[in-house]
Amino acid sequence: MIGEVTPVRGSPMAGHDGFAQLLRAEWAKFRTVRGWVVTLVLAGLLTVGVTLALGNAGNSGGLPAVVTGPGGVAVNDSFYFVHRSLAGNGSITAAVTSLASPRQREGTMAWAKAGIIVKDGTRPGSAYAAVMATPGHGVAMQYDFTHDIAGLPGAVSASSPRWLRLVRSGDTVTGYDSADGRHWTVIASARLPGLPSTAAAGLFVASPQAYQSGNGYVPTQARATFDDLGLRGGWSPGGWGQCEVGAGQDGGCAPPPRGIPLQAASESGGTFTVNGTGDISPYVPIVDILGGIMKAGSLAGLVALIALSGVFVSSEYRRGMIRTTFAASPRRGRVVLAKAIVVGVLAFAVGLAGSAMALTITGPRLRSNGWTPPIYPLVSLGTGTGLRIVAGTAVVLALAAVFTLAVAVMLRRSVGAITVGIALFVGPWLVAAAAGQPAGAFLLSATPFAGTAVQQGVQHYPQSSAVCLASHGCYPLAPWDGVAVLAAWTAAALAASVYVVRRRDA
Amino acid sequence: MTGVAGPAPSLTRAPASTMPAAVRAEWIKLRTVSGPGWLLLACAVVTITVSAAVVSVEKCSSASCAVDATKVSLVGVQVGQAAVAVLAVIVIGGEYATGMIRVTLAAVPRRPVMLAAKAAAVAVVTAAAGIIAVAGSLLAGRIFLPGNGFTAAHGYAALSVTHGPTLRAAAGSVLYLMLVALLSLGVAAAVRDTAAAIAIVLGVMYVVRGVSGLVLDPAWQHRVGRVAPMNAGLAIQSTTNLGKLPIAPWAGLGVLAAWAAAALLAGLLLLRLRDA
Repeated sequence: MIGEVTPVRGSPMAGHDGFAQLLRAEWAKFRTVRGWVVTLVLAGLLTVGVTLALGNAGNSGGLPAVVTGPGGVAVNDSFYFVHRSLAGNGSITAAVTSLASPRQREGTMAWAKAGIIVKDGTRPGSAYAAVMATPGHGVAMQYDFTHDIAGLPGAVSASSPRWLRLVRSGDTVTGYDSADGRHWTVIASARLPGLPSTAAAGLFVASPQAYQSGNGYVPTQARATFDDLGLRGGWSPGGWGQCEVGAGQDGGCAPPPRGIPLQAASESGGTFTVNGTGDISPYVPIVDILGGIMKAGSLAGLVALIALSGVFVSSEYRRGMIRTTFAASPRRGRVVLAKAIVVGVLAFAVGLAGSAMALTITGPRLRSNGWTPPIYPLVSLGTGTGLRIVAGTAVVLALAAVFTLAVAVMLRRSVGAITVGIALFVGPWLVAAAAGQPAGAFLLSATPFAGTAVQQGVQHYPQSSAVCLASHGCYPLAPWDGVAVLAAWTAAALAASVYVVRRRDA
Repeated sequence: MTGVAGPAPSLTRAPASTMPAAVRAEWIKLRTVSGPGWLLLACAVVTITVSAAVVSVEKCSSASCAVDATKVSLVGVQVGQAAVAVLAVIVIGGEYATGMIRVTLAAVPRRPVMLAAKAAAVAVVTAAAGIIAVAGSLLAGRIFLPGNGFTAAHGYAALSVTHGPTLRAAAGSVLYLMLVALLSLGVAAAVRDTAAAIAIVLGVMYVVRGVSGLVLDPAWQHRVGRVAPMNAGLAIQSTTNLGKLPIAPWAGLGVLAAWAAAALLAGLLLLRLRDA
């Protein structure tokens, strides 16, 4: 019959309009260019190769001797302790009426600590729970080094003292604070498994080391006054003992050195004045050896991926292929998205495989080269940190490749896109290392490079006074927050590229 | 009189085949497209912006802050160099992309002359942009640093090119940018592809520079500092603690010059050995 049209088998138009078809077309374009596939493999090899080259980093200086806390983490545990023993359940209450450095010239550390503590003896590294006033972080309850819960805000003074209370009941210690000594608020309850029935408890003062560029860490002092001391329960009779935890010959608790009034405690009319130095906190090293090596390897691979992303787009414009592409698929935004998915998935796969291999080789090598626990715990694919580094590296490479692709769509030129990509992903690394702390911290938190924060191999704690130097690769941002910054850059670039490609001629 | 011909135009010596004519031809090509102008502007603007941003937040709170004020003021050069590298790469790589290289080589068949002409043109325009970039960066340091504690009380005089080491760092930074451009030109001549050339130049320089900060073994750190193009070249920007540098300032710039010469030589060899 005339006029009747036989439907074409597998209508090409319908197929070409589907997004899956578009993805397949872009994938076919990619895999059939041998140079691109070679570059992709090269990216993976560079990631592993640079990591291998750096992985034999020796640790000639050795590591400082540190004590370990509950759970085996490296900790700082030195402070001035005015103590008695507490048998069974009981409580201690005290008001902190002042806390400052006894030396006029030197500032008071934000994390200087004055408060009350219940501890498993006077051995450094033993379990504890403490409530403390601080000059810069208000009242805090901390226990077993890694836990920190904020209480009342603000610093202490004679006109606004802070009342602190610890109540022990079995292996649970509960911390309270109060601004007037009458109305009390629970800060937190800490469970200290294995706390012996007789614990050491009392007043303590500590002041962490300050970091000075050029001099490194230098000790600082703090002096605090305590009032209104109240004890309930099975406290040992007699007076208070005092000693400096961590200062003894065997690392134990040493009695106050004679003739050094800055390191001693005195009592007059119920008011205690205690001087102290040291810190009770997790130990955080300055050098993040694993994070630095993983970052170097992935950035070497990233340069190849950036080049690949740029060329994947620009070659279409250079050869006029883009007109064929847009004729086949007139919805241009979807073409850009399809290309982004192809590049992103490939970069993710290369990043995952490359960094997993790099980590598996580097972890044990660093350990045998002297980067040992407890300061540098072994990081492998079986640990949370290792999984985060490997998965995070893959995500960062994928986002960076898509970012470069979006820039290439806007510029239509590979050179510009590759330069922008390298300048934004590798440039901040160099400038942060060369510039001072504020500029470096800004670069590591605001540029696309912030994404590499996910590769941090050293765990940072808000309650640690350890210096975080941008020039040493320490990030101001938490690992996944950095990835979020990079993701925002990539999303903005992708949106802009879709907008541009829809508005202009091919 | 007919029959008497003037001297026939020499076929062996086409007009542009002489060096001055070849340089003029390259200058016309640079001048009459918009890309190079924008890149030179970008070099100056990016260098000055990054330097100014860094010095505006750099702080010195005591006499022992141990910051090299001149070097910090010139930190933008590390980013601005990307623009001159791109310029040098497209000067030859762009000709391969469009096929223009065949016209260029028809006009200037002698490969050394062609490459030397491109090198001369690129070096001159890079020097012009570099002088502005470096002068602007030092000016930013002179304006911002005294307000941030870089005062006489802390042992800092205002930045000035009348100070010998600062003058050396400033002039050396301009030379550094020129050498980076020449290195990029050589690499681009060798690989013939703009994308590959820029990825190799920037990737190798930046990644090696970044990686060298992670090398903890002092002996290896010393070796990398003496050999890597960017590390050695940037020694020219140091004005304090020169004894602690892995390589002396001018010797470091010499290492970068050797890299640039090697890249140009490799580019030239490949140009002669293969078809355009």
